[in-house]
Amino acid sequence: MKRIAALTMLAAPLTAQAQDTGNLVRFVSCPTYRDADSGRKSGCWLADDPVTGRRWDVSLSPYKPDWNFAILVEGRVGAAGPEACGAPVLSPVRTSRLLDRPCTRHMLPAEGFPGRRYKLSGRYIDPISVARAVPQGPYNERTFPVYFEFDNDFLIYQYDDYLLDKADTWLKAAKPKKVVVTGYAATLPETVSGLRLAERPEVARERAEMVGESLRRLIPGLAVDIRTRTAAQPTDDPEADGIPGQSQRRVEIRALF
Amino acid sequence: MVRGLLRRAILPLAALAAAISVGAHGDAPDRWWSPGDGRVFPERLDYSNGDGTLRLLLTGGALDTKGHPFFEPIGANGRACVTCHQPADSMSLSADTARERWQATGGKDPLFAASDGSNCPVLPQDERASHSLLLDRGLIRIQRPWPIKEWNGKPVTPDFAIEVMRDPNGCNSGPKYGPAAGNISVYRRPRPIANMKYLLAVGFPYDPKQGYALPRDPETGTILSGNLMADGRMGTLKQQMNEARDAHLQMLDKLSDPQIERIETFIRSLYAAQQISTKGGDLDAMGAKGGPAKLRDSEPGALGSIGEPVWSEYHAWDKISPQDAKTLTPQQLAFRQSVARGVHVFRDKTFLITDSAGINSRVGFGNPVRNSCVFCHNMTQMGNDVAPGQVDLGTTTLPFADPMPDLPLFRITCLKVPHPHYGRVFYTMDPGFALTTGRCADAGKITLQSLRGLSARAPYFSNGLAKDLRGVVNYYERRYNIGYTEQEKQDLVNLMSVL
Repeated sequence: MKRIAALTMLAAPLTAQAQDTGNLVRFVSCPTYRDADSGRKSGCWLADDPVTGRRWDVSLSPYKPDWNFAILVEGRVGAAGPEACGAPVLSPVRTSRLLDRPCTRHMLPAEGFPGRRYKLSGRYIDPISVARAVPQGPYNERTFPVYFEFDNDFLIYQYDDYLLDKADTWLKAAKPKKVVVTGYAATLPETVSGLRLAERPEVARERAEMVGESLRRLIPGLAVDIRTRTAAQPTDDPEADGIPGQSQRRVEIRALF
Repeated sequence: MVRGLLRRAILPLAALAAAISVGAHGDAPDRWWSPGDGRVFPERLDYSNGDGTLRLLLTGGALDTKGHPFFEPIGANGRACVTCHQPADSMSLSADTARERWQATGGKDPLFAASDGSNCPVLPQDERASHSLLLDRGLIRIQRPWPIKEWNGKPVTPDFAIEVMRDPNGCNSGPKYGPAAGNISVYRRPRPIANMKYLLAVGFPYDPKQGYALPRDPETGTILSGNLMADGRMGTLKQQMNEARDAHLQMLDKLSDPQIERIETFIRSLYAAQQISTKGGDLDAMGAKGGPAKLRDSEPGALGSIGEPVWSEYHAWDKISPQDAKTLTPQQLAFRQSVARGVHVFRDKTFLITDSAGINSRVGFGNPVRNSCVFCHNMTQMGNDVAPGQVDLGTTTLPFADPMPDLPLFRITCLKVPHPHYGRVFYTMDPGFALTTGRCADAGKITLQSLRGLSARAPYFSNGLAKDLRGVVNYYERRYNIGYTEQEKQDLVNLMSVL
């Protein structure tokens, strides 16, 4: 009964959501954890846009929130309704932890919402024991992207390992003369939810070094040049899922022959 | 001379045939392996413990340990590797064994060497109180360089400052000890060195907790598992041996390459697990696959969630047929059913994991994240982490750690960004992985280890926080407010007792 009431209350915003599907949403707020329990990794992350007052389900981000810190939410209005977590879904979505902006941790009970049963899907890699298919030549100059959380250089589990694995497999087959690893930082300030946000210029180098070191470990002997670029601009690379901010926060691995 | 030759010829042959079983707990001298005993290590060796019998299997045939560098006192202090890696203790060292040894030798065994078998060399060495950490908690003193150095001596610039708040043993202050003197002393349990192929196995090429591809052995180019040593300071067995040579054996000469190879061959050939349960009987009966044979015969490094589930060795006991049940005593039947339930509690009982670096940060699982024991203890057959297992459960760090006033306490101040869960300033009894990486965010992280042979090697956790298996469950219950029922707690204890 409680669940039916909750869904009824959410019916009106659903109509608005249908009109908005695909629209880009971007805001900063404190996350709320809903303790839905459909097994491992099934809990929900919710975030309220302070300007519109709308609550969104942001659980599908490849990097999840920490309830002690604010998050930068960047996502597109999805087609799915509030059935899983009690709010319309942003999908694709990214939730970057803003570790210099503390939040009061807040947890909601499940309130009848099941969350999402975890299923291995999307961007993940096979165990090392599984031989990778050798990419077909001819091998020409090519660029592989790797993406990051806001102002962060950490390689993202089940996102960047997938992207790096693709690059690694291709580079091992293609044997380029060298690779140029260029770290980008989105340093041009933007105002989001009344906050002025910009990445540190030095995160460009941190990202490039992180990827460069990983490539040296994956492919011993590979010649790696490290470069950096600030004031990063968006790209239309599909691996950034159509989220401009995500595409700015990147490293490019360029193979040269 | 002739007698010596005969002895060398006959012993291995006799040992090949023998499966040695050592009965009652404490029946010296066989239970304790003294350096230079010159015994034969048989292919199968059983030792009793409080929960039943531990079995060790050695592949490649029995080993004459005479002259073997793992078993000979090759250092200056009379110790050998076997001193702290005892077969009866699943190749670790239990606090019970340390106490028995103290009793048997009046504290004169090389185990109690002042350098690390006492709380601190500055203490009067003939007093029990000076060895209380080893005798009461099974802890060996580990002296790490400060400022931090890598395994090859390369300096690491830490992003944190460390101050000594409490030094109950004198090894973190004074002219020779402590940060001002260029070192930090922490106290840790010896880690078990059986079933090594699992600890060296690499499941995936990335470390999701550190956000890098895995490093390689600088000598061989092999990808490193990251699952050796509590603080991950050494990535290879060779590096570990060379460090132990200095730190624990006080050996003046380097280990030679043939010595290293012989030690490595031995420990890579050794498997250990509980084989018989006092309450449940044979652990490989009625379709169960307990014991070390399964470990010996399986491929290492598999993730339970995508292959053979963790602890499926005991799936056959999920449904014991009425016919089979009739062949068991009521106690045996109840115990086996409890073990089977324990497997499901271990894998399926989820709870909110919070504020644990390595799980909730920096990796993006979220804080909190709902999962079960198997989230981290995810390697099939072993229960260690397929990825490098550096995680902060809070066992060494306040406010989560239990009060342990006999251990030193350090104040950590992060000099760059604050720790994601503890803030800028916090207190720890062992900074763990941070003493290797120099990163404040790694303070308190300790490498997960094997869950095999647990009954033979209490106490548990790196600092001996849990004196028994129930203590392990109780710690997790306190730390994560899991809500285990009394039945679930007992089922988990019973499961852990048969691993």
